[in-house]
Amino acid sequence: MVGRDTSQGRKMLSLLGLLAPPTVFLGVFFITPLAIMVIYSFLEPGLYGGVVWNFYDLNYGRILGWADTRYEKFDPVYLTIFLRSVRLALTTVLLSLVICYPAAFWISRMPQGRKNFFLFLITLPFFVSLVVRLFAWVLILRPTGFLNQALMEIGMIAEPLNLIFTDTAVVIGMTYVFIPFMFLPLYASIEKLDMSLVEASADLGATRLQTFRRIILPVTLPGIVGGSIIVFIPSLGNFIVPSVLGGAKVMMIGNLIEQQFLSARNWPFGSALGMMVMAAVLLLLMIYVRMMTREEEYSTAAKVKES
Amino acid sequence: MIERTAIRTAAVSVAALATTTVAQAEGELNLYNWGDYINPAVLTAFTEETGIEVNLDTYGSNEEMLAKIQAGASGYDIVFPSVHMHDIMYQLGLLAKTDIGQSENFSNIDPQFIRAETDPNAEYCLPYAWGNVGVVYNKTKVEEMSSWADLFDLAASGEKIVLLDDPRETIGIGHIMNGTSVNSTDEAEVVAAADVIKENLENVSAFSYDSIPLVTSGDVAAAHWYVGANIFVQQNPDVLAYYIPSEGATMYQEDMCVLKDAPNADNAKAFMEFYLRPEIAALNVEQQMNGTPNIPAQELIPDEIAENKSIYPDAETLEKLQIFVDLGQDLRLYNREWTAIKTAQ
Repeated sequence: MVGRDTSQGRKMLSLLGLLAPPTVFLGVFFITPLAIMVIYSFLEPGLYGGVVWNFYDLNYGRILGWADTRYEKFDPVYLTIFLRSVRLALTTVLLSLVICYPAAFWISRMPQGRKNFFLFLITLPFFVSLVVRLFAWVLILRPTGFLNQALMEIGMIAEPLNLIFTDTAVVIGMTYVFIPFMFLPLYASIEKLDMSLVEASADLGATRLQTFRRIILPVTLPGIVGGSIIVFIPSLGNFIVPSVLGGAKVMMIGNLIEQQFLSARNWPFGSALGMMVMAAVLLLLMIYVRMMTREEEYSTAAKVKES
Repeated sequence: MIERTAIRTAAVSVAALATTTVAQAEGELNLYNWGDYINPAVLTAFTEETGIEVNLDTYGSNEEMLAKIQAGASGYDIVFPSVHMHDIMYQLGLLAKTDIGQSENFSNIDPQFIRAETDPNAEYCLPYAWGNVGVVYNKTKVEEMSSWADLFDLAASGEKIVLLDDPRETIGIGHIMNGTSVNSTDEAEVVAAADVIKENLENVSAFSYDSIPLVTSGDVAAAHWYVGANIFVQQNPDVLAYYIPSEGATMYQEDMCVLKDAPNADNAKAFMEFYLRPEIAALNVEQQMNGTPNIPAQELIPDEIAENKSIYPDAETLEKLQIFVDLGQDLRLYNREWTAIKTAQ
């Protein structure tokens, strides 16, 4: 009995030792800044940046509708910008999914050596600064740029396409940036896919489409959902891609927040906007977790039934 | 980008030079300046003479600099705020009293450049440099341009133009075209100025600071840019041209200020006095191609700069240049309209 107690105590101790660093890390670098943001979003903006320590609900009022003074006026424009960001982020998710899904299948069926090489290639862009890569995209997309030159050379277009500084350029840029984030979770779940299931389905007379819908898709769904979330969240708050490739004409919520903290010197309003993005993301994550637990319950229930 | 790297390299070599050759105990001086806004040769000359090691960090806007200083960035000795930011920083108690106005060589400074309302006797800061904000265009795309109206006509004709990603500068164009003050806080006037931009928005390709390469390559026909565009005009005289629009334009001036918590306040004052010398101010203008408030320095700068009307405009044009003042709370009117412009399409 005594022996078991000490071993349990030791287990507790090592658990504590293992959990303490990440807890402290999250506390310092996540919870504290978050708390500052929450508090700031309810304070009065200082004239030259910073905050005045008075309770102030007009930061949210400007977004949601009850502010109506000379300086703090409700404007539906903020929600419009938010919805536009959601639309661009969703397009990015869809596009990167369409590109990564077949690619992940293709790579997962390769021999080991080549597989590793391709995985390395996927992560290669991380070795170069994002800003440098985005300026390279300006060179590619501009009217006299590489893409237009190439398309005109092969005779596909007569006039240069108007790509740079448009929504399309922003979506292309974000898709490019976030492809590795989509690819890796997809790859993880596709690699685990048991090919014998697919074969069995074919043997039992399912068409290719049926096999895909009833076997492949459900099995790889966690990867799809995981990748989509990891792409959606940073796309939603992105401000560097729209400012470089969108020519700052395409304003996303991230640009609006950046503007509040810098040129507008309105930190509390910036915080309130940040909280709005965060609330949307949290909602999404909660739905995801709900979905995943339900699926787990379902699969355990199925297993219990089998036995 | 290339210029920026060059300056970084220069700053590093200045530092290296200082540590290896001249000075050991003379200490350092930490400058926090706009990107590409001081001739590296000025820093080298200062280090050679005094043995003080100079470190240079750069920022992209007044607000960025203020936010960093407010957030507690320490270690900097000298910053280069625009006049209205000089006033703000004074009010926030961020500046150190230097009595630079009492210095012997201060008589070199043209008194009209002592512009900051909070510092009428130059007890704090030294007027550093000034310039205007006009239009740079590609001569292979358009023959002759001279006004803001030309710029928007060009855009309406299907060519691409780029405006600055700066609420006050860009709404300021509307003010100038409407004949109202760029410092107006009258809501109707600000809205009307923003409407000028909104009406032309469809023809504006982008709001950006990085437009020079696009204008040079011809991807964009013209861009709203600073007088510093003359540096690129000089490199590419057959392609580029820069002008101050005939309706008027904005001008800017930066002052050299010592921060209250400067670790090397004495070295900072020494640098200010060094910069009061005409030959040093002229050395800076030679590379920067902007205006100097130093009167004897104006005699020393190369003729092609001194005679360039877009850098040193005649009295008539000079009168049409407006300088920004701090608007306090009313800045929000501009930010509100700016957000409206960016979502108006």
